[in-house]
Amino acid sequence: MTMGKFLVRRILQGIFVIWGVITVMFGLRAVSPGDPATLMLGEGATQELIERVREQEGLNEPIYIQYFEYLQGMVVGDFGYSWRSNREVEAMVIERVPATIELAVAATIVAIVIAIPLGVISATRRNEPADYGATLFSLLGISTPNFWLGLMLILVLGVWAGLFPTGRRPVGFGQAMMTLVQYGSVYDLLVWLQYITLPALTLGTYFTALITRLTRSGMVDELGKEYVMASRAKGLPAVLVRYKHVLRNTMIPIITVLGLQLGTLLGGAVITETVFNWPGLGLRLVDALGARDWPLMQGIIVFIAIAFVTINIVVDALYNYLNPQVREG
Amino acid sequence: MISERVKSNLKQTFAESLLPKLGLVLLVSIVFMALFAPVLATHDPTRTGHYDEQGAPYPPLGHEYTAEIVQDGEIVEVPVEPTSEHILGTNNVGQDVYSRFLYGARISLLVGFLGTGIALLIGVPIGLIAGYYGGRVDDGLMRIADTMLAFPALVLALALLGVFGQSSIHVPDPLVIAGLADGMPESVPVPGTVIIVVALVTWVWFARVARGEALAIRNEEYVKAAKSFGTKDRTILRKHVLPNSLTPIIVLATIQVAAIILLEASLAYLGFSGTTLSWGYEIERGQGILRSRSWVSMVPGIGIVLTVISVNLLGDWLRDALDPNIEGEGR
Amino acid sequence: MTEDILRVTNLSTRFFTQEGQVNAVSSLDLRIERGEIFGIVGESGSGKSVTARSIMDLIESPGEITSGTIEYRNADFAAAVADDYPDAVDGEFVDLLAVPERVRQSLRGTSFSMIFQDPESSFNPTLTVGEQLAEAVEVQRRASAQPRSTSARTNEYSFKNYLLSTVLSSQRYVSDESRERAIELLELVGIPDPVERADQYPHEYSGGMLQRAMIAQALAGEPDVLVADEPTTALDVTIQAQILDLLDELQAETEMTVLLITHNLGVIARMCDRVGVMYAGEIVEHGTLEDVFDNHVHPYTDGLLGSVPNLDGVAERLQPIHGNVPSLLDHEMEDRCYFADRCPKAMEDCLEHPQEFDASGSEVHKVQCVLAETEYDESRAVPDDYFADPAQDTTDKRADRDGDEPDGPPQRAESPIDSAGGDRQ
Repeated sequence: MTMGKFLVRRILQGIFVIWGVITVMFGLRAVSPGDPATLMLGEGATQELIERVREQEGLNEPIYIQYFEYLQGMVVGDFGYSWRSNREVEAMVIERVPATIELAVAATIVAIVIAIPLGVISATRRNEPADYGATLFSLLGISTPNFWLGLMLILVLGVWAGLFPTGRRPVGFGQAMMTLVQYGSVYDLLVWLQYITLPALTLGTYFTALITRLTRSGMVDELGKEYVMASRAKGLPAVLVRYKHVLRNTMIPIITVLGLQLGTLLGGAVITETVFNWPGLGLRLVDALGARDWPLMQGIIVFIAIAFVTINIVVDALYNYLNPQVREG
Repeated sequence: MISERVKSNLKQTFAESLLPKLGLVLLVSIVFMALFAPVLATHDPTRTGHYDEQGAPYPPLGHEYTAEIVQDGEIVEVPVEPTSEHILGTNNVGQDVYSRFLYGARISLLVGFLGTGIALLIGVPIGLIAGYYGGRVDDGLMRIADTMLAFPALVLALALLGVFGQSSIHVPDPLVIAGLADGMPESVPVPGTVIIVVALVTWVWFARVARGEALAIRNEEYVKAAKSFGTKDRTILRKHVLPNSLTPIIVLATIQVAAIILLEASLAYLGFSGTTLSWGYEIERGQGILRSRSWVSMVPGIGIVLTVISVNLLGDWLRDALDPNIEGEGR
Repeated sequence: MTEDILRVTNLSTRFFTQEGQVNAVSSLDLRIERGEIFGIVGESGSGKSVTARSIMDLIESPGEITSGTIEYRNADFAAAVADDYPDAVDGEFVDLLAVPERVRQSLRGTSFSMIFQDPESSFNPTLTVGEQLAEAVEVQRRASAQPRSTSARTNEYSFKNYLLSTVLSSQRYVSDESRERAIELLELVGIPDPVERADQYPHEYSGGMLQRAMIAQALAGEPDVLVADEPTTALDVTIQAQILDLLDELQAETEMTVLLITHNLGVIARMCDRVGVMYAGEIVEHGTLEDVFDNHVHPYTDGLLGSVPNLDGVAERLQPIHGNVPSLLDHEMEDRCYFADRCPKAMEDCLEHPQEFDASGSEVHKVQCVLAETEYDESRAVPDDYFADPAQDTTDKRADRDGDEPDGPPQRAESPIDSAGGDRQ
């Protein structure tokens, strides 16, 4: 199969999945208790007003018509209006995306920078103190709920040590960059960095632990393969055997696992944003859930699903590119 | 099928390594705590109002703090001493932290094991059938699985809880009924909807693994032979396919118990829990008073970490000893 | 008589496993002459591969070389290390086990190189064959840039260099010259369209082609000694002959020394000048090809040859050696001739570990068996049930796993290529 065909197939599958997500969300909304018009208007609205809203929103139509119209809206990027704030859902989603991306990218960087060296050290010094240390760390990392970890980081590094601020961040990355460009000042950037450190550590720890474990076990497997001995036999320096051959081959399958774990990262972001009052999508989702603001909730979840599917297609393409055994033509 | 070789392998890896032993000891102690919580507890975990004479919550033993209280219309700072009545102190509504810690173990383990059990019951049959028959059935399942995986588990669980609400069933506590623990709550809240929801968001991992196994097993000679004798599909599934796909399912189940315990804690932290006895709920309660009374969040957090570590240690042991190839480590 | 290039004395390699200590190679002596093809033959689990890997310094934990010397003759090398490690140098010989690991490492590829049994698992599946060959060429290029300086030979390529190379293409380990040379090497071993082939991945090659590529890779460093560990075992019989021809041809051309490890007597007969027969971690009989094939003394050699079908004559009955491969676990090995329990001519003398005797063939023919000195005497034979030990049945599997011997079972010797034994002059 050529790369083009592969991509077309994956994209079609992805569209199917997103359709599934939209449908599930619609279904959940349909079966959820409570009348939408009442939710929209709040308690104490007059019956007449409620009836008018029902008519206006098409809530009196048969369910399949509602579904069809809903789907139609989604296709053209019209996610509807928030019941609570009466703003366009698209805008409410888009304005919160940068903060979440900043957090997710920072957490991923934390994870990769710590985990891969740790996994390599662990695998190449098996049953030495360094390996035990890394194993213990990764065990703790995958066993600690990240909201609790976040609170403890706030307590220890924020409150007791006073190293990091714990309030809501005053400046986003975009604004910090603007300051840098306009005034040549890195001050805002430093503030931003100070505020993102604890959330990034909180969200990144689970991934650090997971990648450390995967790298270690993958590398131990890989080191036992015959080509490693053959590479040593031909006199190749140990560094090259370890990194150019073994680590590279170890990372190829790990990439796909990480793609699948992206859902976990986004779920973790919801929690982390709540703990740190981080103005991202996750926090908005929790707010929307609390207010039963269905259009906003649906919008955010569908957006997350689209992001997840897209990144997984990219990851699969990357895997195919990196692994010549499946790459053909 | 658990063969003799696998059993001896399990024994050997258990004997050789310290970690599975540690995991087993930890888990057994936590289960013990949960089972005998009414006997071990010193106070009714739901009873409020355990304050000192100035009206401030107690700190844990060996710890002092300064509380701000209102006296004659003014806020004054007073030192608060611990008491041996409440060894881990009390929380901001004056409940005994130690007793709540014990009862919290019940909720975590109940949700973890029951949730995994239900996910197994949904996922394994679906996966086996899809893998065994293949074709359209299989395609359908895989697309459903893809869709489920496109939701972060936590997000889907939140959405489902939004629909189902959060109710719990109150099951009478036999220890209290038998009169072994006076003054303890007479029933245990079992957070029913949370259990069902966590099962609904995790069954797909079991279905994927079971499908993969069934797909491989259906091409084995013994299955072909059984078919040629005219054995019914249902019998083949039960007698051949299921027993031979147990190993990875067992390992996955262990991983999922840990994942579900964490998921339950997260849901409770966000306020989606059937009961206030949940550790996650308690951590959220302590969040606002983290600066002055950190123990309220710290104690239940340690409970979660120890429980999940114990399950993960046993899971690692099973994985190493049984050596299946599974990717699912969802949380 | 030509000079020795390699002298192995009293070499013991052990594996420390959970089941106990495995004596994969015990007090082994071996002498290889420059330019010859020396064969080691034996059953699975006899320690052949471990011997090869010990010489290549490729023994990994839980394995360890516990005693012995491996002396390698190379005047340049001896001069280069004489200052730093005077104790290791003896004339033109250097004891490789007396110099640090990093010095030994510097010899791999350039002085010693190795061909492995299974070409498909011996190449990295995610890099092109050309790239992997070019790496081997680069090792040689860098070493020969300053042949006399030890530092050039022993300095490790650093992590810093590696990181730099991932960013700056000019810092890459493998140079363009090496890539070109890799293509020449592919051509040398008879791979058609070498330019296109170099850019292909291992899974796009056939087994035979890949084995040719591995030979090319082993020759990239123009080594003095080539260790070939079961080079044809994983291949089709028709391809086996081609690979052996190629090895023969290249050996004649480059005059390199070859240590050939195989369980296949046909390959030995066709290729080797001298042969050592290995059993339970020892070389029990060695000598010229004629000594071992025609004038062998050791009943094990006899049994080994008896298990090869002889196509010259009328169907001679195939005689497999009865019994199992011996346990190499230290606590199960008694101090006796290790073959005694399977030996049809075991006598009371065999309950003591035999020394090495001169045998009747050429002056290099030696054997570790009392039969070299005494005639078989039935009255002193060991009773049949003497070695009856139920534990013996389960041991071969363990010894095989821990002894790290990926050889095929001895029956493989029945393959038709063994008839090549008839070709020898």
